[in-house]
Amino acid sequence: MSKSYKLKKVIVKTEYKFLAIILVLLAAGLVLLPKYEKHEGINPEILLGNAVSSERYISTDELAEKIINQDPSFLLIDVRDEESYAKYSIPNSINIPLAKLLEEDSESYLNQDEFDVVLYSNDNFYANQAWLLCNRLEFKNIRVLNGGVNAWYSTIINPTKPTENQAVVDFDLYTFRKAASMYFGVSYLDQVTSPTKKKTPKKVVTVKKKKKKVAEGGC
Amino acid sequence: MKELEKTKRISIGAVLFILVVIIALLTYEKPKHYYKVNTEDTLSKLLTKDYFVALNEVNNPDFVLIDIRNSYDYDNGHIENAINIHTPELLSDNSTNIFKEIKNNNDFAVLYGNNPTEANSAFMLLYQLGYDNVKILLVKNNYSQNKLATESATIGASIADINAFIKESQKNANVTPSPEKKIKKKVITVKKKKKKVAEGGC
Repeated sequence: MSKSYKLKKVIVKTEYKFLAIILVLLAAGLVLLPKYEKHEGINPEILLGNAVSSERYISTDELAEKIINQDPSFLLIDVRDEESYAKYSIPNSINIPLAKLLEEDSESYLNQDEFDVVLYSNDNFYANQAWLLCNRLEFKNIRVLNGGVNAWYSTIINPTKPTENQAVVDFDLYTFRKAASMYFGVSYLDQVTSPTKKKTPKKVVTVKKKKKKVAEGGC
Repeated sequence: MKELEKTKRISIGAVLFILVVIIALLTYEKPKHYYKVNTEDTLSKLLTKDYFVALNEVNNPDFVLIDIRNSYDYDNGHIENAINIHTPELLSDNSTNIFKEIKNNNDFAVLYGNNPTEANSAFMLLYQLGYDNVKILLVKNNYSQNKLATESATIGASIADINAFIKESQKNANVTPSPEKKIKKKVITVKKKKKKVAEGGC
Protein backbone atom coordinates (compact mmCIF):
# COMPACT_ATOMS: atom_id res chain seq x y z
CA MET A 1 0.00 0.00 0.00
CA SER A 2 1.28 3.45 -0.86
CA LYS A 3 2.13 5.93 1.91
CA SER A 4 -0.44 8.52 0.90
CA TYR A 5 -3.16 5.91 1.11
CA LYS A 6 -2.08 4.96 4.63
CA LEU A 7 -2.05 8.60 5.64
CA LYS A 8 -5.51 9.23 4.32
CA LYS A 9 -6.70 6.21 6.18
CA VAL A 10 -5.22 7.61 9.40
CA ILE A 11 -6.76 11.03 9.03
CA VAL A 12 -10.16 9.75 8.22
CA LYS A 13 -10.36 7.43 11.20
CA THR A 14 -12.81 8.98 13.60
CA GLU A 15 -10.65 8.38 16.64
CA TYR A 16 -8.09 10.73 15.25
CA LYS A 17 -10.70 13.31 14.41
CA PHE A 18 -11.81 13.13 18.02
CA LEU A 19 -8.23 13.54 19.21
CA ALA A 20 -7.68 16.52 16.97
CA ILE A 21 -10.79 18.22 18.30
CA ILE A 22 -9.66 17.71 21.88
CA LEU A 23 -6.27 19.21 21.12
CA VAL A 24 -7.82 22.23 19.47
CA LEU A 25 -10.04 22.73 22.50
CA LEU A 26 -7.01 22.59 24.79
CA ALA A 27 -5.26 25.17 22.67
CA ALA A 28 -8.32 27.38 22.92
CA GLY A 29 -8.15 26.92 26.68
CA LEU A 30 -4.57 28.20 26.72
CA VAL A 31 -5.77 31.38 25.10
CA LEU A 32 -7.75 32.08 28.27
CA LEU A 33 -4.57 32.18 30.38
CA PRO A 34 -3.52 35.78 29.52
CA LYS A 35 -5.88 36.82 32.31
CA TYR A 36 -3.01 35.92 34.62
CA GLU A 37 -0.56 38.18 32.79
CA LYS A 38 -0.59 40.70 35.61
CA HIS A 39 0.44 37.93 37.93
CA GLU A 40 4.14 38.65 37.49
CA GLY A 41 6.27 38.02 40.49
CA ILE A 42 6.28 35.68 43.44
CA ASN A 43 3.19 34.25 45.05
CA PRO A 44 1.40 36.88 47.17
CA GLU A 45 1.52 34.60 50.20
CA ILE A 46 5.30 34.40 49.93
CA LEU A 47 5.58 38.14 49.39
CA LEU A 48 3.52 38.72 52.53
CA GLY A 49 5.75 36.36 54.49
CA ASN A 50 8.84 38.23 53.34
CA ALA A 51 7.25 41.59 54.09
CA VAL A 52 6.45 40.78 57.72
CA SER A 53 9.93 39.46 58.41
CA SER A 54 12.57 41.92 59.52
CA GLU A 55 15.38 40.02 57.83
CA ARG A 56 15.84 42.73 55.28
CA TYR A 57 16.98 45.37 57.74
CA ILE A 58 20.62 46.26 58.28
CA SER A 59 21.56 48.62 61.10
CA THR A 60 23.47 51.85 60.66
CA ASP A 61 26.28 50.43 62.77
CA GLU A 62 26.63 47.44 60.47
CA LEU A 63 26.63 49.70 57.44
CA ALA A 64 29.19 52.08 58.91
CA GLU A 65 31.46 49.14 59.61
CA LYS A 66 31.13 47.86 56.07
CA ILE A 67 31.98 51.24 54.62
CA ILE A 68 34.94 51.77 56.92
CA ASN A 69 36.28 48.31 56.20
CA GLN A 70 35.82 48.98 52.50
CA ASP A 71 33.73 45.87 52.17
CA PRO A 72 33.46 45.39 48.42
CA SER A 73 30.42 43.17 48.45
CA PHE A 74 27.62 45.67 48.71
CA LEU A 75 25.96 48.43 46.71
CA LEU A 76 24.43 51.36 48.53
CA ILE A 77 21.42 52.83 46.74
CA ASP A 78 19.68 56.07 47.69
CA VAL A 79 16.03 55.98 46.60
CA ARG A 80 15.34 59.60 47.45
CA ASP A 81 15.04 62.26 44.78
CA GLU A 82 18.12 63.73 43.14
CA GLU A 83 17.96 66.92 45.16
CA SER A 84 18.13 65.13 48.49
CA TYR A 85 20.93 62.94 47.20
CA ALA A 86 22.94 65.93 46.09
CA LYS A 87 22.46 67.67 49.42
CA TYR A 88 23.82 64.77 51.39
CA SER A 89 24.28 61.10 50.70
CA ILE A 90 25.89 58.31 52.61
CA PRO A 91 29.38 57.91 51.13
CA ASN A 92 29.73 55.51 48.24
CA SER A 93 26.05 55.42 47.45
CA ILE A 94 24.46 55.82 44.05
CA ASN A 95 21.14 57.44 43.41
CA ILE A 96 18.20 55.58 41.94
CA PRO A 97 15.14 57.69 42.75
CA LEU A 98 12.05 55.64 43.50
CA ALA A 99 10.48 56.88 40.28
CA LYS A 100 13.23 55.25 38.28
CA LEU A 101 13.24 52.00 40.21
CA LEU A 102 11.90 49.84 37.41
CA GLU A 103 13.78 51.36 34.53
CA GLU A 104 16.06 49.16 32.53
CA ASP A 105 19.21 50.94 33.66
CA SER A 106 18.27 50.51 37.29
CA GLU A 107 17.66 46.84 36.80
CA SER A 108 21.32 46.17 36.12
CA TYR A 109 22.08 47.43 39.62
CA LEU A 110 19.13 45.85 41.38
CA ASN A 111 18.64 42.55 39.61
CA GLN A 112 22.04 40.97 40.01
CA ASP A 113 23.53 38.44 42.37
CA GLU A 114 27.05 39.81 42.53
CA PHE A 115 26.51 42.48 45.20
CA ASP A 116 24.20 42.89 48.15
CA VAL A 117 22.02 45.91 47.62
CA VAL A 118 21.21 48.21 50.54
CA LEU A 119 18.37 50.63 49.87
CA TYR A 120 17.90 53.73 51.98
CA SER A 121 15.72 56.82 52.20
CA ASN A 122 15.26 59.39 54.95
CA ASP A 123 13.32 56.91 57.03
CA ASN A 124 12.12 53.39 56.27
CA PHE A 125 9.06 54.23 54.27
CA TYR A 126 10.19 54.76 50.69
CA ALA A 127 13.06 52.32 50.97
CA ASN A 128 10.52 49.69 52.06
CA GLN A 129 8.26 50.46 49.13
CA ALA A 130 11.20 49.98 46.79
CA TRP A 131 12.17 46.80 48.60
CA LEU A 132 8.70 45.31 48.29
CA LEU A 133 8.59 45.83 44.55
CA CYS A 134 12.04 44.32 44.17
CA ASN A 135 11.01 41.40 46.32
CA ARG A 136 7.93 40.74 44.23
CA LEU A 137 10.18 40.65 41.16
CA GLU A 138 12.48 38.20 42.93
CA PHE A 139 15.54 40.43 42.93
CA LYS A 140 18.02 38.80 45.25
CA ASN A 141 19.86 40.19 48.25
CA ILE A 142 17.95 43.46 48.61
CA ARG A 143 18.19 44.99 52.07
CA VAL A 144 16.95 48.13 53.75
CA LEU A 145 18.94 50.46 56.00
CA ASN A 146 16.98 50.50 59.23
CA GLY A 147 16.04 54.07 60.05
CA GLY A 148 17.54 55.50 56.89
CA VAL A 149 19.47 58.74 56.77
CA ASN A 150 17.74 59.98 59.90
CA ALA A 151 19.09 57.05 61.90
CA TRP A 152 22.46 57.50 60.17
CA TYR A 153 22.51 60.99 61.56
CA SER A 154 21.43 60.15 65.09
CA THR A 155 23.64 57.09 65.51
CA ILE A 156 26.71 57.55 63.35
CA ILE A 157 27.13 61.22 62.53
CA ASN A 158 25.86 62.55 65.83
CA PRO A 159 25.83 59.69 68.31
CA THR A 160 24.47 60.29 71.79
CA LYS A 161 26.91 59.82 74.62
CA PRO A 162 25.58 57.24 77.09
CA THR A 163 24.78 58.43 80.59
CA GLU A 164 26.98 57.26 83.45
CA ASN A 165 24.63 54.55 84.62
CA GLN A 166 24.45 52.72 81.31
CA ALA A 167 26.18 49.45 80.52
CA VAL A 168 29.72 49.05 79.28
CA VAL A 169 28.32 47.75 76.03
CA ASP A 170 26.71 51.10 75.41
CA PHE A 171 30.00 52.87 75.99
CA ASP A 172 31.80 50.57 73.60
CA LEU A 173 29.13 51.22 71.02
CA TYR A 174 29.50 54.94 71.56
CA THR A 175 33.26 54.71 71.08
CA PHE A 176 32.74 52.89 67.81
CA ARG A 177 30.17 55.41 66.67
CA LYS A 178 32.29 58.39 67.60
CA ALA A 179 35.21 56.98 65.65
CA ALA A 180 32.91 56.30 62.73
CA SER A 181 31.62 59.85 62.80
CA MET A 182 35.18 61.11 62.58
CA TYR A 183 35.77 58.86 59.60
CA PHE A 184 32.78 60.41 57.94
CA GLY A 185 33.98 63.96 58.44
CA VAL A 186 32.76 65.10 61.86
CA SER A 187 35.31 66.93 64.03
CA TYR A 188 35.39 67.13 67.78
CA LEU A 189 36.85 69.74 70.08
CA ASP A 190 38.62 67.19 72.22
CA GLN A 191 40.59 65.73 69.37
CA VAL A 192 44.28 65.83 70.20
CA THR A 193 45.42 65.29 66.68
CA SER A 194 43.06 66.49 64.06
CA PRO A 195 42.58 63.59 61.72
CA THR A 196 42.06 65.84 58.76
CA LYS A 197 45.60 67.16 58.95
CA LYS A 198 47.01 63.69 59.20
CA LYS A 199 48.22 62.79 55.80
CA THR A 200 47.75 59.16 55.04
CA PRO A 201 51.33 58.05 55.54
CA LYS A 202 52.98 57.51 52.24
CA LYS A 203 53.70 53.92 51.92
CA VAL A 204 57.41 53.54 51.62
CA VAL A 205 57.89 50.70 49.30
CA THR A 206 61.34 49.34 48.83
CA VAL A 207 61.35 47.52 45.63
CA LYS A 208 64.03 44.96 45.37
CA LYS A 209 65.53 45.27 42.01
CA LYS A 210 64.83 42.01 40.39
CA LYS A 211 67.68 40.67 38.42
CA LYS A 212 66.45 40.49 34.94
CA LYS A 213 65.95 36.89 34.32
CA VAL A 214 67.09 35.95 30.94
CA ALA A 215 64.45 34.02 29.17
CA GLU A 216 65.06 30.52 30.21
CA GLY A 217 64.48 28.16 27.46
CA GLY A 218 63.13 24.75 28.01
CA CYS A 219 61.77 23.70 31.38
CA MET B 1 -0.57 -7.51 11.24
CA LYS B 2 2.01 -4.73 11.34
CA GLU B 3 -0.66 -2.17 10.64
CA LEU B 4 -2.75 -3.36 13.57
CA GLU B 5 0.28 -3.08 15.85
CA LYS B 6 0.90 0.48 14.74
CA THR B 7 -2.64 1.60 15.27
CA LYS B 8 -2.67 -0.12 18.65
CA ARG B 9 0.42 1.82 19.68
CA ILE B 10 -0.97 5.09 18.45
CA SER B 11 -4.23 4.55 20.28
CA ILE B 12 -2.47 3.66 23.51
CA GLY B 13 -0.25 6.71 23.17
CA ALA B 14 -3.23 8.93 22.54
CA VAL B 15 -5.19 7.57 25.48
CA LEU B 16 -2.21 8.05 27.79
CA PHE B 17 -1.77 11.60 26.58
CA ILE B 18 -5.39 12.43 27.20
CA LEU B 19 -5.16 10.86 30.65
CA VAL B 20 -2.16 13.02 31.50
CA VAL B 21 -3.96 16.13 30.35
CA ILE B 22 -7.05 15.26 32.37
CA ILE B 23 -4.97 14.62 35.49
CA ALA B 24 -3.16 17.92 34.97
CA LEU B 25 -6.44 19.79 34.62
CA LEU B 26 -7.88 18.22 37.73
CA THR B 27 -4.86 18.90 39.88
CA TYR B 28 -4.46 22.45 38.61
CA GLU B 29 -5.34 24.76 41.43
CA LYS B 30 -6.39 28.21 40.54
CA PRO B 31 -4.08 30.34 42.72
CA LYS B 32 -6.07 31.62 45.67
CA HIS B 33 -4.65 35.10 45.43
CA TYR B 34 -3.26 36.64 42.32
CA TYR B 35 -2.14 40.11 41.48
CA LYS B 36 -4.40 42.39 39.53
CA VAL B 37 -1.79 45.12 39.14
CA ASN B 38 1.70 44.74 37.72
CA THR B 39 4.76 46.32 39.35
CA GLU B 40 5.00 49.28 37.00
CA ASP B 41 1.44 50.37 37.67
CA THR B 42 1.96 49.82 41.38
CA LEU B 43 4.98 52.10 41.28
CA SER B 44 2.95 54.75 39.47
CA LYS B 45 0.36 54.57 42.20
CA LEU B 46 3.03 54.90 44.90
CA LEU B 47 4.41 58.02 43.25
CA THR B 48 1.04 59.76 43.25
CA LYS B 49 1.11 59.83 47.05
CA ASP B 50 -2.66 60.22 46.97
CA TYR B 51 -3.33 57.32 49.31
CA PHE B 52 -2.50 59.07 52.56
CA VAL B 53 -5.11 60.01 55.14
CA ALA B 54 -4.35 62.56 57.84
CA LEU B 55 -5.31 61.93 61.45
CA ASN B 56 -7.91 64.68 61.45
CA GLU B 57 -9.74 63.05 58.52
CA VAL B 58 -10.27 59.83 60.38
CA ASN B 59 -13.97 60.30 61.13
CA ASN B 60 -15.09 60.10 57.53
CA PRO B 61 -18.06 57.68 57.37
CA ASP B 62 -16.67 56.06 54.22
CA PHE B 63 -13.53 54.97 56.04
CA VAL B 64 -13.19 51.58 57.64
CA LEU B 65 -10.25 51.78 60.02
CA ILE B 66 -8.06 48.73 60.13
CA ASP B 67 -5.42 48.22 62.79
CA ILE B 68 -2.76 45.96 61.29
CA ARG B 69 -0.82 45.44 64.51
CA ASN B 70 -0.95 42.25 66.53
CA SER B 71 -3.93 41.56 68.77
CA TYR B 72 -1.95 42.28 71.94
CA ASP B 73 -1.21 45.83 70.86
CA TYR B 74 -4.75 46.22 69.59
CA ASP B 75 -6.24 45.13 72.89
CA ASN B 76 -3.99 47.54 74.76
CA GLY B 77 -5.48 50.43 72.88
CA HIS B 78 -6.61 51.23 69.40
CA ILE B 79 -8.23 54.05 67.50
CA GLU B 80 -11.97 54.16 68.04
CA ASN B 81 -13.98 51.97 65.67
CA ALA B 82 -10.91 50.28 64.22
CA ILE B 83 -11.01 46.56 63.51
CA ASN B 84 -7.96 44.39 63.92
CA ILE B 85 -6.35 42.46 61.09
CA HIS B 86 -2.76 41.55 61.89
CA THR B 87 -0.63 41.80 58.75
CA PRO B 88 0.32 38.09 58.59
CA GLU B 89 -3.41 37.30 58.50
CA LEU B 90 -4.01 39.59 55.57
CA LEU B 91 -4.66 36.76 53.12
CA SER B 92 -6.82 34.58 55.34
CA ASP B 93 -10.35 33.78 54.21
CA ASN B 94 -11.77 35.90 57.00
CA SER B 95 -9.72 38.94 56.03
CA THR B 96 -10.44 38.46 52.35
CA ASN B 97 -14.15 38.50 53.09
CA ILE B 98 -13.79 41.70 55.08
CA PHE B 99 -11.89 43.44 52.31
CA LYS B 100 -14.32 42.27 49.68
CA GLU B 101 -17.19 43.60 51.73
CA ILE B 102 -15.50 46.97 52.16
CA LYS B 103 -14.96 47.13 48.43
CA ASN B 104 -18.57 46.20 47.72
CA ASN B 105 -19.79 48.95 50.01
CA ASN B 106 -17.66 51.45 48.10
CA ASP B 107 -15.83 52.27 51.31
CA PHE B 108 -12.16 52.83 51.89
CA ALA B 109 -9.97 50.53 53.96
CA VAL B 110 -7.73 52.86 55.96
CA LEU B 111 -4.78 50.98 57.42
CA TYR B 112 -2.64 52.03 60.35
CA GLY B 113 0.08 50.53 62.52
CA ASN B 114 2.55 51.86 65.04
CA ASN B 115 4.01 53.94 62.24
CA PRO B 116 3.24 54.38 58.52
CA THR B 117 6.00 51.97 57.47
CA GLU B 118 4.26 49.17 59.36
CA ALA B 119 1.08 49.82 57.43
CA ASN B 120 2.93 50.02 54.13
CA SER B 121 3.42 46.28 53.65
CA ALA B 122 -0.28 45.58 54.10
CA PHE B 123 -1.15 48.54 51.92
CA MET B 124 1.04 47.45 49.04
CA LEU B 125 -0.06 43.82 49.26
CA LEU B 126 -3.72 44.72 49.16
CA TYR B 127 -3.29 47.25 46.40
CA GLN B 128 -1.48 44.77 44.18
CA LEU B 129 -4.20 42.21 44.78
CA GLY B 130 -6.69 44.61 43.29
CA TYR B 131 -8.07 46.50 46.30
CA ASP B 132 -7.62 50.00 44.99
CA ASN B 133 -9.65 51.39 47.87
CA VAL B 134 -6.86 51.10 50.44
CA LYS B 135 -5.21 54.01 52.17
CA ILE B 136 -2.61 54.61 54.85
CA LEU B 137 -3.39 56.65 57.94
CA LEU B 138 -0.43 58.87 58.74
CA VAL B 139 -0.09 58.25 62.45
CA LYS B 140 2.40 56.97 64.92
CA ASN B 141 1.34 55.25 68.11
CA ASN B 142 2.91 55.27 71.52
CA TYR B 143 1.83 54.07 74.89
CA SER B 144 2.09 56.45 77.78
CA GLN B 145 0.52 55.74 81.14
CA ASN B 146 -1.14 52.64 79.72
CA LYS B 147 -3.02 54.69 77.23
CA LEU B 148 -2.65 54.81 73.51
CA ALA B 149 -1.32 58.12 72.27
CA THR B 150 -1.87 58.62 68.57
CA GLU B 151 -0.11 61.45 66.81
CA SER B 152 0.24 62.61 63.25
CA ALA B 153 3.24 61.28 61.43
CA THR B 154 5.19 62.55 58.46
CA ILE B 155 7.00 60.45 55.93
CA GLY B 156 10.41 60.93 54.47
CA ALA B 157 11.25 64.14 56.30
CA SER B 158 14.91 64.68 57.02
CA ILE B 159 15.67 65.40 60.66
CA ALA B 160 18.96 67.16 60.14
CA ASP B 161 21.03 68.86 57.54
CA ILE B 162 24.00 66.55 57.84
CA ASN B 163 26.32 68.52 55.62
CA ALA B 164 25.75 71.64 57.65
CA PHE B 165 26.30 69.67 60.83
CA ILE B 166 29.62 68.32 59.64
CA LYS B 167 30.83 71.74 58.49
CA GLU B 168 29.70 73.27 61.77
CA SER B 169 31.62 70.68 63.75
CA GLN B 170 34.74 71.39 61.74
CA LYS B 171 34.34 75.10 62.33
CA ASN B 172 33.92 74.58 66.06
CA ALA B 173 36.99 72.40 66.32
CA ASN B 174 38.98 75.02 64.51
CA VAL B 175 39.80 72.51 61.90
CA THR B 176 40.39 73.86 58.46
CA PRO B 177 37.80 72.06 56.51
CA SER B 178 39.76 69.74 54.31
CA PRO B 179 38.65 69.51 50.75
CA GLU B 180 35.82 67.09 51.00
CA LYS B 181 37.40 63.78 51.68
CA LYS B 182 36.72 62.04 48.47
CA ILE B 183 36.03 58.52 49.47
CA LYS B 184 36.79 56.75 46.27
CA LYS B 185 33.56 56.26 44.43
CA LYS B 186 33.13 52.62 43.81
CA VAL B 187 33.30 51.94 40.15
CA ILE B 188 30.77 49.31 39.61
CA THR B 189 30.83 47.52 36.37
CA VAL B 190 27.58 45.77 36.48
CA LYS B 191 27.33 43.22 33.79
CA LYS B 192 24.32 44.08 31.75
CA LYS B 193 22.41 40.90 31.42
CA LYS B 194 22.27 40.31 27.74
CA LYS B 195 18.73 39.77 26.72
CA LYS B 196 18.77 36.19 25.66
CA VAL B 197 17.62 35.95 22.11
CA ALA B 198 15.52 32.89 21.60
CA GLU B 199 17.99 30.32 20.51
CA GLY B 200 16.70 27.96 17.96
CA GLY B 201 17.92 24.44 17.85
CA CYS B 202 20.92 23.53 19.91
